[in-house]
Amino acid sequence: MGTPTTLRLAAAVLVTAALGGCAGLEEDDVGRVAGAFEDPAAAPADRCVLLAPATLQTLESDESAPCVDVIGQVPLPGGAVEAVAVFGGQAQVRLDGDTVFLTETPSGWRVTAAACEPRGGLPYDCQVEGP
Amino acid sequence: MTASRYGFFRANALSLVFGGLFLVTLVGQAIAGTADHNARQVADGLPAVSFLDYVTSSSFGVDVMENWQSEYLQFFLYVFATVWLVQRGSSESKEPGEEGTESDEEQQVGPHADEESPTWARTGGWRTALFSRSLGLLMGVLFLLTWAASSVAGWAAYNAEQLGQRQDPVSWVGYLGEADFWNRSFQNWQSEMLAVGSMAIFAVYLRQRGSPESKPVGAAHADTGQTG
Repeated sequence: MGTPTTLRLAAAVLVTAALGGCAGLEEDDVGRVAGAFEDPAAAPADRCVLLAPATLQTLESDESAPCVDVIGQVPLPGGAVEAVAVFGGQAQVRLDGDTVFLTETPSGWRVTAAACEPRGGLPYDCQVEGP
Repeated sequence: MTASRYGFFRANALSLVFGGLFLVTLVGQAIAGTADHNARQVADGLPAVSFLDYVTSSSFGVDVMENWQSEYLQFFLYVFATVWLVQRGSSESKEPGEEGTESDEEQQVGPHADEESPTWARTGGWRTALFSRSLGLLMGVLFLLTWAASSVAGWAAYNAEQLGQRQDPVSWVGYLGEADFWNRSFQNWQSEMLAVGSMAIFAVYLRQRGSPESKPVGAAHADTGQTG
């Protein structure tokens, strides 16, 4: 009786640890991408490569200019990561000075919206965002 | 032809066929669900996901769990309700006047059990009390487990949608107060109640020759509890 119970307990602990570990790693990745995107010292090209394809396309279409020429005009105050939420392939990172939304792509986590202001129960008002 | 001459598959055909149909339809849901999910991903300018990613996602999880929980709720309620409630003329019901848990003699428990009765029907005490309610209790426990799983998967799917629409996520407790959770629950529950209620009353006036879910074709509409 003792051995199966111990095995079941060990399996449960391993599964819980694995799931917790995965969630932790994912949150680290998301926080790292958001932090790099909002890093005041980041080069425009390094920021643009972190945008999700649809967001990059929308930005360039709206501004009628390449991303590297206009991304510097977007206020991205950044700051330390305060909170990370990851659900499915979507994520939100709250930084000291901004809230950033991300999506998971084959190339890793990419920014779908940044320079976002909360609007009560409505969607955030974001200066950079996809369709 | 006696049942003892049946092989394993023929003797368990009902369970095996429905077990197989369950797996086939679950795979069908997974395939159609992946295609539907990816169509919406593309429309939102987001990358498509793989089949494996979809079947391990909260979207698929909540779609499966919200249906399972309502099925177990249906059987939990039906198993317990048919102890106390009757429908005159229905093969799904006991005869009027037989409401309740019936006598030990009628239920073949304790001293009234025979040598082929399950051990826990013979032993008495808590074992017999538990075994006497085990079918309904299992349905009730499975309902609570699958409803809880539905709430967790629904919470994750809801928050993924919130984040995709650039809105704040909610806590699990907060999700239990969201219309999304109750809409999913009630829309599944109402269909189960409709199915059970329909079956109880249709079985009074309609017949299916050879089915134990029906009365014999020639039985009177007022006959209750007969199966054939």
